[in-house]
Amino acid sequence: MINLHGYGPRLLEGALITVELAVLSLLLAIVLGLITASAKMSRSRAAHAIGTLYTTIIRGVPDLVLMMLLFFGGQIGINAITDQLYAHFGWDIFINVNEFVAGVITIGLIFGAYMGETFRGAFLAVESGQIEAGRAYGMGPWLVFRRIRFPQMMRHAIPGLSNNWMVLLKTTALVSVIGLSDMVRVAAEASKATREPFTFMIIVAAVYLLIASVSEWGFARLQKRYDVGFGEVK
Amino acid sequence: MAETPIPLEVRNITKRFGDTDVLKGLSLEARKGDVITLIGASGSGKSTFLRCMNLLEQPDEGELIVHGEAIRFKETKHGREPADWQQVVNMRAKLSMVFQNFNLWAHMTLLENIIEAPVHVLGKPRKEAIEQAHVLLERVGLTERANAYPAQMSGGQQQRGAIARALAMDPEVMLFDEPTSALDPELVGDVLKVMRGLADEGRTMILVTHEMAFARDVSTEVIYLHQGVIEESGPPEAVFGNPRSERLKQFLAPKH
Repeated sequence: MINLHGYGPRLLEGALITVELAVLSLLLAIVLGLITASAKMSRSRAAHAIGTLYTTIIRGVPDLVLMMLLFFGGQIGINAITDQLYAHFGWDIFINVNEFVAGVITIGLIFGAYMGETFRGAFLAVESGQIEAGRAYGMGPWLVFRRIRFPQMMRHAIPGLSNNWMVLLKTTALVSVIGLSDMVRVAAEASKATREPFTFMIIVAAVYLLIASVSEWGFARLQKRYDVGFGEVK
Repeated sequence: MAETPIPLEVRNITKRFGDTDVLKGLSLEARKGDVITLIGASGSGKSTFLRCMNLLEQPDEGELIVHGEAIRFKETKHGREPADWQQVVNMRAKLSMVFQNFNLWAHMTLLENIIEAPVHVLGKPRKEAIEQAHVLLERVGLTERANAYPAQMSGGQQQRGAIARALAMDPEVMLFDEPTSALDPELVGDVLKVMRGLADEGRTMILVTHEMAFARDVSTEVIYLHQGVIEESGPPEAVFGNPRSERLKQFLAPKH
């Protein structure tokens, strides 16, 4: 039996943080991705420009740099704002950037840009006649989106979505630099203390692999669900 | 007895694509029970005219009056647009369209296709919509195919299913955009048979078609379009039996 030197419970907690962080970041990224895709397909030039600016910045700056920029820079920015509020209105507010929230926002922001591209391509792959039929039957834009565009777009989006998720999952390891006790950070501490890095890192690797395998199975099921009705023989 | 409003009136519709005038001031009036057929060579503007009637294309000028209610428009930097989209949504729910390429929703079964708009647009209870759908499926001869997806059906079955979907809205007017043009010749007959049944029961229909024999048979009025203008119109006996314009004569002449 592997000796964890008492680090077992903390490792488990760290693994939970990793999963929570990844899932919440994914949700944020999906929402941002849908908004970005809509902005880029919009006929409003301003919306298009904002969407393009966002994806260009995010895709051009390393994830680690963005994370430190948002976490440390964000704290300074918030402090500046609260100082102003105090100076002008006498409101005494102190907001401390929570590592977990900062992690979710940063990873969500980064992957929102990639999701945006995935969704844009997927939306464009939906046949225009399908949307036209919805409009012709009295559906407004939201109903068309919910009942037709979204379900038909998903089958094109899932391969990209699943790919982004795998990268996102591994990117969560970066949050250990901003002090969040995710699985990687706990394992790094344990390695130093016990001088058995192999033991702890192999466990971490196995857990990531496990999460990845379960998600792959999940995405395959999702793909099947959204493929219903398509490509079947007459 | 109060006079019932005319289901659909279209006045002086014009439409421009870039520098090309596609429709140059077209009008028609569909009274209850009318079957109006638009004929003409490709490029004459007949499909565009039909698509302007439910605003899938935005006409540059002209009026649309559905069941006595005029659609309101406003000028924007993108051209003229409806002033009130909710009004358009309500109007479209009264005009069902049958498309050349069927456009049944691919991710839904035939039954789901038929109940979709009644449930989500008209707010009909699901159970009631399903019962009605089964009646319509029987009517178009597709009882067995209720749970099939469009991709599992032949073109003719898809188009008959699309007609059932249109009927489920209990529309004031049905718009048919070349409903048989994408079908294999042996499948055309079944679709025409269903359409003939609708005409016989007094449905108000406007259709674009190349099926001249059918048009002659079921129409109350035939409109011949040439380059965005109504070149000739009238009852089918007159338009087909005694065409006045040279172009219409040429158009109707047997081709080799």
